[in-house]
Amino acid sequence: MRAALIDGKSIAAELRSEIAKEASELASKGWQPRLVSISVGDTAASEIYVRNQQRSAESAGVQFEARNYSDDISMEQLVGVLQGLNADPRVNGIIIQRPLPAHIPVKTLQKAVHPLKDVEGMHPASIGNIVYNDLQLGPCTAVAAVELLKTLPLKIEGLDVTVIGHSEIVGKPIAFLLMGLGATVTVCHHMTRSVAMHSRASDAVFVAVGKPGLVTGDMIKPGAALIDIGINRVDGKTVGDAEFETCSEVAGWMTPVPGGVGPVTVAVLMRNAIHATRLQMEAYRDSYANTEV
Amino acid sequence: MGATVINGKEFAASVREKVAEHVTRLKEDNNITPGLAVVLVGEDPASQVYVRSKGKQTVEVGMNSYEHKLEADTSEEDLLALIAQLNNDPAVHGILVQLPLPDHLDSDLVINAIDPAKDVDGFHISNVGLLGTGQKSMVPCTPLGCLMMLRDHHGSLSGLNAVVVGRSNIVGKPMAQLLLGDSCTVTIAHSRTKDLPSVVRQADIVVAAVGRPEMVIGDWIKPGATVIDVGINRIEAADGKNRLVGDCHYESCAEVAGAITPVPGGVGPMTIACLLANTLTACCRANGLPEPDGLTA
Repeated sequence: MRAALIDGKSIAAELRSEIAKEASELASKGWQPRLVSISVGDTAASEIYVRNQQRSAESAGVQFEARNYSDDISMEQLVGVLQGLNADPRVNGIIIQRPLPAHIPVKTLQKAVHPLKDVEGMHPASIGNIVYNDLQLGPCTAVAAVELLKTLPLKIEGLDVTVIGHSEIVGKPIAFLLMGLGATVTVCHHMTRSVAMHSRASDAVFVAVGKPGLVTGDMIKPGAALIDIGINRVDGKTVGDAEFETCSEVAGWMTPVPGGVGPVTVAVLMRNAIHATRLQMEAYRDSYANTEV
Repeated sequence: MGATVINGKEFAASVREKVAEHVTRLKEDNNITPGLAVVLVGEDPASQVYVRSKGKQTVEVGMNSYEHKLEADTSEEDLLALIAQLNNDPAVHGILVQLPLPDHLDSDLVINAIDPAKDVDGFHISNVGLLGTGQKSMVPCTPLGCLMMLRDHHGSLSGLNAVVVGRSNIVGKPMAQLLLGDSCTVTIAHSRTKDLPSVVRQADIVVAAVGRPEMVIGDWIKPGATVIDVGINRIEAADGKNRLVGDCHYESCAEVAGAITPVPGGVGPMTIACLLANTLTACCRANGLPEPDGLTA
């Protein structure tokens, strides 16, 4: 094996310890960061994510409240809940766990979260900021994937990068984040004629499709970085979108699955919580400054 | 010269015709007249020309045009008050603030004060995000015009390699999103790109939007590719007179390309046509009516 593994766990731990310092600083100013997680109906599918987030929050000094609503709650009621949380100054971030029941369209809910409390970075205004090169609260997975690339001794400016997968919450935001950092980015997807032609010419490849074995060693330029965002269950094992055996022979650096992008994603969620809290504190002070007492 | 010349003037006229037909129907069937408000602050001569021709074309397709000309020293407060008033005016379906604004005004703040549903320029941060997440939005006019021309020329764009040269907020980035939406494989190249000629050479579709006169030359173009030239640059010709050129070197690119847009007369005329199309789309959405076909992304 040739590729150096990018250790997401230790990078995440480092991030969390920085975050914990900032959290206690904010708490000392009366702004203890606090997240509320909302799941609806059967929680089996999201349970593991919620537990991970809870654990990560605890070690990062962020308070975490998991709420579950029964699946007969109406859209209007849920939006009402969100409006309450939007208005509550003790709540700094709202997480909407997926999957949601069919009668609750996820995009409508995401739009109902106040942009300053959008710690998942899913609100159109959050995405718009990324496109305009102004990273405020970015979608966690995309930001985490780019964070991992940043830990490598590669100059991102001018770097040729291929992003495989053009989903709205992962592939496309990764492309725009990298473009903002000066990379030349190509976005491939299921209609692309030859993914290999693009990926083989790239210094770094990101893959976020959800198809195990999609990227093989012969698609990678020797020495390139490979960031694997896929999480798939195959024969009871968790694997990424890249074929580990062949890719690790060719790539210079590679993220393992599990233990690569996943842990950093949760840490970025916590960092967003801190950032959101700070934005809210500033907004509060600004509004207070203009109030005549 | 082998390339088909994509005639933007004719194409823009056909878009305006479609818009005008739809406006007539809206008036007859629903008693609604779409309205576009254009706000101009100061006396920038180029902006005055744009505003005048926008107003003229708005009226020609049967819409109401509302022009608001403000003094160059207008305060932010007054400008925001005008925008709030236009946001609340049911006769106004589209609001356009002519850029650039004088230095003392924060254009981000002003643009984001427009109701996103009336933001016919598509620059409001919410519209940028909606486009980025594949949702219904108002799409910036120039890239929308490019997309219409490409769809008209190619039919389906699915699977084609597209290279967008330039990563500006108003053309390059939304263009990339639109091409992805139509299932192109998209590369965004820019000033930091290492080997621009070889990146461009892979493209079935090249969209050049960098503002560098005649930067893209025929040697960079894959034979048969479609070249969309968004640049408009004024350069001094050999005879000492000024002339307009694009970001592509027309003669050499036209030798190799399958199709090309000229400058002037290519992308340029499409921008205002798409502004009218956006105003019509916004009007239909505001009234809960079906959107016209083929006039948005």
